[in-house]
Amino acid sequence: MLPDQIRRALTLHGLTPATWIPDASGGREVEATIRVARVVEGPALGWHPVGLATSWTEPLAFLDGVQRSEIVPYAGAAPIVVARIAAAVRERRDRTLSTVLETSRTLVIARPSALARAGEALAGLDTLALPEDHPPHPVRDLVDARRALDRARGALEIGLGERYRETGDGWLIVDGSLAESPRWAADPRMIGIAKSHATLPFEGDDLERYLRLPHGQRSSLFEPQTRSLAPVRSWALRLWPWEGRDLLYGLVRIEVAPVNGSPDAADRLSRFLLAERAPVSAPDLCWDRLLYGISAVEQYLRARLV
Amino acid sequence: MIALRPIGRVVATELKPSTPHQFYFWTARDTPVGIGAIVRVEEAGRVVFGVVTDAVAYSDMMTPMHAVLGADGDPGAMDDPTRRAEIRLFSASVLRQMPEEPLQPVPIGPVRLASDDDVRLALRMDAYTGRDRATGIPVGVYAAGGLESPVYLDCDFLLGPEAAHLNITGVSGLATKTSAVEFLLTSIFQTFPVHKGSVAAVCFNVKGPDLCFLDQPAVLSDEERRLYARLGLTPTPFTDVHYYAPFKSDGVNLNTLRSHEALAANTRPLVWGLREVLDYAEVLLNRDDVDAKADAFIDFLGERVVGRDYRDDTLRTKPFNVQTFADLEEFFRAIFDFVEAMGKGGEVWRTHHVATIRKVRNRLSNISTRSKGLVTDDGTASDLPWGGFADRNVYVVDVAGLDPLAQDLVFARAVSRLREHLERRDLGVDHVVVFVDELNKYASADGSDTYVRKMLLDLSERGRYLGLVLFSAQQFRSQVHRRVVGNAGTAIYGRMDMDELATPGYATLSPATKIKLATLPKGELMIRHPHFTQPIFVKFPRPPVMTSREGLDRFPPATGLSFPDAVARQLRTFDRHISTDGVHALVEGRAEPDVLRALAATRRERPADPFAFFSACLGRRVTPEALTTRRPVPSIRHADGDYGS
Ligand SMILES: Nc1ncnc2c1ncn2[C@@H]1O[C@H](COP(=O)(O)OP(=O)(O)OP(=O)(O)O)[C@@H](O)[C@H]1O
Ligand SMILES: [Mg+2]
Repeated sequence: MLPDQIRRALTLHGLTPATWIPDASGGREVEATIRVARVVEGPALGWHPVGLATSWTEPLAFLDGVQRSEIVPYAGAAPIVVARIAAAVRERRDRTLSTVLETSRTLVIARPSALARAGEALAGLDTLALPEDHPPHPVRDLVDARRALDRARGALEIGLGERYRETGDGWLIVDGSLAESPRWAADPRMIGIAKSHATLPFEGDDLERYLRLPHGQRSSLFEPQTRSLAPVRSWALRLWPWEGRDLLYGLVRIEVAPVNGSPDAADRLSRFLLAERAPVSAPDLCWDRLLYGISAVEQYLRARLV
Repeated sequence: MIALRPIGRVVATELKPSTPHQFYFWTARDTPVGIGAIVRVEEAGRVVFGVVTDAVAYSDMMTPMHAVLGADGDPGAMDDPTRRAEIRLFSASVLRQMPEEPLQPVPIGPVRLASDDDVRLALRMDAYTGRDRATGIPVGVYAAGGLESPVYLDCDFLLGPEAAHLNITGVSGLATKTSAVEFLLTSIFQTFPVHKGSVAAVCFNVKGPDLCFLDQPAVLSDEERRLYARLGLTPTPFTDVHYYAPFKSDGVNLNTLRSHEALAANTRPLVWGLREVLDYAEVLLNRDDVDAKADAFIDFLGERVVGRDYRDDTLRTKPFNVQTFADLEEFFRAIFDFVEAMGKGGEVWRTHHVATIRKVRNRLSNISTRSKGLVTDDGTASDLPWGGFADRNVYVVDVAGLDPLAQDLVFARAVSRLREHLERRDLGVDHVVVFVDELNKYASADGSDTYVRKMLLDLSERGRYLGLVLFSAQQFRSQVHRRVVGNAGTAIYGRMDMDELATPGYATLSPATKIKLATLPKGELMIRHPHFTQPIFVKFPRPPVMTSREGLDRFPPATGLSFPDAVARQLRTFDRHISTDGVHALVEGRAEPDVLRALAATRRERPADPFAFFSACLGRRVTPEALTTRRPVPSIRHADGDYGS
């Protein structure tokens, strides 16, 4: 069912219709923080030239997910959010991308009491219950809904990634962290690329060193501190010269399973990733950090998510 | 019928919406769709046929700068590891919607290539093919994406009465104009429906050997034979072709490249006398001086003088009997002598001013001297079989060797005679296709308003009611009078010149269609026809007749035949057993004019024994012994001056 149809059904059921689409309904929300990582290459954080970009000749796949949500009605003061989440894997062969896996879900997110008021108008739809430990608050409930949705989307991506792994052992690049899933974190053919630097792995002089990484170089390998139990190896890679622009310009953080955590492997994968700068993913605002393959998955999903 | 797999999808956005007459669709990167392809859109009970008129491709790149950035400024950098998303977006013009009412925008649905049946519907050929009293004439196959469908013209709209005429345009040598007309005539002759009656063609050969071998077979490839079969035609040359060519100035060799003896049987002289010329003398005058007074004097000659006894005692006591140009010249002399004798005040003879009389005389004597081979002085004509035209016969009039004035005269007279006979319904056939190549010479857009141009205009405007149909060709349509080409119900375009395409007449074609026209391979044409909402591209096989190049190789023209040889050749067209030696013996030493007269008489009379008749005619003017004894006549070349006319 589309949000509009749900809206009609709920309005007929006596709820208060609304058409508000929350800010940044598409993106993931992360709080800015520092979690100091352990350097595992050399005595201190350093810079390492990775060599010339090298094309990635093996088949390569990209995984990403998108989400979109809107408030459909209010049950009293509590919002009922309808969200659509989707994820896809697009595989590259002979330079051409094609979608090999995709999945999507429509979810209704609200407090259980609000869901109850909607009654059978939501029959057959997946629902996601928000905590009811505080009284309804239209803004706070939305923040809660947003968190729940991020988790649901993450789960959808993980599920799809695992399904892809069943089909073969080609390289899979995901948008974000591998630590989300213990299986991902141990997968010898997966690479996570984080382009958001809300969580930073160093502080003080090390952080400065980390953020001033020159173009074409990578940081020393380190082990991020994660809340999950799955350890990964990570390093930063500068895809484009940042001088004169911004400290974060062209800076991505790579995550791989510990088996790929050698300096040689990091150099080799970095050279591959440098080659993936082209074609650039502009007009996406993050094109300095967003690989075209990932962006193509996102474009595909957005085009499908009417 | 199996529905073909969709090869595209209609897209409609606010900026590129579907309308009742146009739509857009995208396809895979590798697609059989090209400019001119016919497609079918079907959605919710509505079927729309369209023809592709333009196409664009682009990728998801927003600015070329991103390409530069991605390659680090190095054009030689390796290919991007991922190919960008890109689109092939085609625009199509609607050919037909079913149902036709209510007329609505093209639905947003899947797009398929058109099948045979689809092409039939898309071009509205269902209205005139595959039913009782069908009127379809195959013109070629429409081909796209490995599919191939015959395309038919509606003969009610090609040969009348609904519409008529065909014009073909395109650059020299590549547009295959002449070939296309030859092919279409083949198709008409083979498929013109019985209920429409009979049809013949009169072709004016205006260029070298172009139409000289229509009765000789072509060497065709298997592929060409397959195309013929696909169109339901047999690749055989025309069986009944009659050639007419004027003489050269010697009066006995034919002025045509079809002069090989093996082809002589159906190649006849075209010879007109004073009467034939005078009827169309207007043609000769109109070139530079339209003059009502001259017309009046010509009428006077035609009605009162030529071919009858004319008595005027002021000129001379003996009545005039003007039969030939020579007689006419005598008559003029008498007038001028009379006027001169009158002295002052003698500018007028019987209301006709002397200047007018002089002008008419000059024009007439001009044609008789400039076109000696066409115009005979002895009053015997050899002409097309007016009234005796036969179904599926081709009459080729070879005017390639005539000067422009004489060409005009031939056109004017031939077309006018066709018209008169068709009006009286006594030509022998119900429809005649007149083929005129190099139309720009005879009906030019600028240039003077000649008699021939007026006649072609009249033909193109009124001919269809009579069954008189003009097929015309030229390199540049823009150089032909608008109404002559405008009245052609069917217009065909071969390979075109870009400058020509830039003229206003082609403004309705999309840039892509123009490019396609400018690069069209031999054997492919674009066709406009009243039933087709949009121009359609078709392929046709080479005509089933020998090319002029091969014809000239196989049947080299008989150049420089001596006078007696040429006479023998002429006589053999009446009786092929007549020997050259016999004719030599007979003609030797005779005055050429006498021989020509005897030849003309033989041609006129068609006697049972042409040789005997010919020698008898010749004999009347020489000594009786020569005739009876049939001895070789000793050379008397110096003594025969007396027998000159
Ligand atoms: N259907 C065809 N397929 C391929 N070639 C063809 C076809 N028809 C004709 N040709 C070739 O194209 C050439 C030109 O043909 P044609 O003489 O008909 O052209 P045209 O347009 O009349 O030229 P021009 O303006 O010089 O009279 C010839 O060599 C002929 O053999
Ligand atoms: Mg030609």
